[in-house]
Amino acid sequence: MSGVKVPRNFRLLEELEEGQKGEGDGTVSWGLEDDEDMTLTRWTGMIIGPARTNYENRIYSLKVECGPRYPETAPTVRFVTKISMNGINNSNGTVDSRSIQVLAKWQNSYSIKIVLQELRRLMMSKENMKLPQPPEGQTYST
Amino acid sequence: MAEQGAADPGNNNNNNKPEDSEGTIIKVTVKTPKDKEEIAIAEDASVTQFKEEISKRFKAKQDQLVLIFAGKILKDGDSLSQHGIKDGLTVHLVIKTAHKYVSDGASTSASSSTSTQAGSSSTSSPAANPTSTSAPSGSAPPSTQTPNLLTGFGDLAGLAGLGMGSANFMELQQQMQRQLMSNPEMLSQIMENPLVQNMMSNPDLMRQMIVANPQMQQLMERNPEISHMLNNPELMRQTMELARNPAMMQEMMRNQDRALSNLESIPGGYNALRRMYTDIQEPMFSAAREQFGSNPFSALGGNSESGAQPSRTENREPLPNPWGPPNSSTSSESGTGTTGSTSTTGSTNPSVSNPLGINPGSLGNGMFNSPGMQSLLQQISENPQLMQNMLSAPYMRSMMQSLAQNPELASQNPASSPSSTGTNAAQQQLMQQMLQMFAGGGGGGSTQTPEMRFQTQLDQLSAMGFINREANLQALIATGGDINAAIERLLGSQPS
Repeated sequence: MSGVKVPRNFRLLEELEEGQKGEGDGTVSWGLEDDEDMTLTRWTGMIIGPARTNYENRIYSLKVECGPRYPETAPTVRFVTKISMNGINNSNGTVDSRSIQVLAKWQNSYSIKIVLQELRRLMMSKENMKLPQPPEGQTYST
Repeated sequence: MAEQGAADPGNNNNNNKPEDSEGTIIKVTVKTPKDKEEIAIAEDASVTQFKEEISKRFKAKQDQLVLIFAGKILKDGDSLSQHGIKDGLTVHLVIKTAHKYVSDGASTSASSSTSTQAGSSSTSSPAANPTSTSAPSGSAPPSTQTPNLLTGFGDLAGLAGLGMGSANFMELQQQMQRQLMSNPEMLSQIMENPLVQNMMSNPDLMRQMIVANPQMQQLMERNPEISHMLNNPELMRQTMELARNPAMMQEMMRNQDRALSNLESIPGGYNALRRMYTDIQEPMFSAAREQFGSNPFSALGGNSESGAQPSRTENREPLPNPWGPPNSSTSSESGTGTTGSTSTTGSTNPSVSNPLGINPGSLGNGMFNSPGMQSLLQQISENPQLMQNMLSAPYMRSMMQSLAQNPELASQNPASSPSSTGTNAAQQQLMQQMLQMFAGGGGGGSTQTPEMRFQTQLDQLSAMGFINREANLQALIATGGDINAAIERLLGSQPS
């Protein structure tokens, strides 16, 4: 039903349920960072590095923050696990909203799942898949 | 309330949980990208218990399992309820199988996957395999490439396999390289060696060697730029200058790095670099790695065009240490069988400034090396059995051939190179020693003082009027037997 503006919390609760039910192909996962978080703002996400890339076999942890104007505005995304990828700030893991398509051209029908899946898809792109990666298990200090 | 699902295959609650507490059983779906299983577990179970169940069902070891729920990794000490895992929910599973992620199903162990990929790359299909070669290089399997080093350098290199106490030529090669790598002194000595320098100063010879390698040939077909590079004598000469002079080479590399970082800062430049890298460098790496473990020339040649030919990527690595321990980023070869020695093939990590993993260490391989040869010869003379082994080894034939050809080669070299008869004489002396040794079963010429080596040159110098034998000798040593250069040195030091 296009044109209907779903209230933020409804949307987020929906996404929460989706995350817990493991919708999707099992290569990304997301959930509330703190189950008591009533504002449903802080989320953690996880991306499993795609095969045949330098990200293979790694599990990337992310933090997603859905602000008060979500889903009208895009969430801010930050990698916790160190990663070398275009559009990701090398020193603190923040995802540059201008370089990642779904964030730059955000639609309110997008969701956390879509963001995670998109990031994963970008890992498989030619420009990223062979980037030398830092040793496994390192995280950004922030 | 949660006691349903009796018919489900996933219903293990009766058999497998003897210590099952009073908690209700919940059914949790465990999902891998390939697979999905429903596992029944007590609601208040710990993650460890959950993993036990999973390991049985998925036939994987518990410590290989990584569980993810709602974007968080489940740690062993946690409990399911802590994470809010309830009936009907889905937990993601990643089974860490050494290096390969489960999803491909291609292979489940590092070695097999690496050798599959590397095997295919060594069958000279670099076109298909730049991607897969990068994977093994990512996981960095150690490997050896001795046989190719030998063949790459042509038959001359057969001699390099001479004894280090083992009859197996592959091992000999490796040991030699290992020695070289661990001893930079030795390395500089090699470089100074007149024969080495002479070979290096002969662009044709080097080019032949490179071209002889089938992989390089393929590469050259696909990338005409490479053959262009190789065919440019100026370039080759410069390259070999660099190869001879380690200090200069390092300097060059650093310059190139700086140039590249500048390039990269140009808008759009970065992407261009990356593209070039994937198109050109990858296949070159694979070919070169297999050939020498280090192809000194093409890469160095490319260095001088760094501005015009952005063929490498952004340098994220520290500048390479050409003398340092080899980084095992080479793909394994058809000769992987050669024992589990770790990557001692004298290759450096193909980084930006060292695009083909040049390691000057292995440049000297296959070349006559006085100190090394000395020990070889000693060992050989001590061990007649070794001689026997050597003689019966298949390589002998090629060695003999090369020996026969060598005098020709040796005489060719000086003809085209500036250093003339002086070096030729030195080479011939060495040759003679080798021949003696083979013929006589290992007596000849263990240690040779510089004086003996440069005997002919010294005579020539004194005939020309340089009476000071000491000074002559010094000059000759410094110039590696090059008479003309020695003369210049002598003249320079005598203000007259």
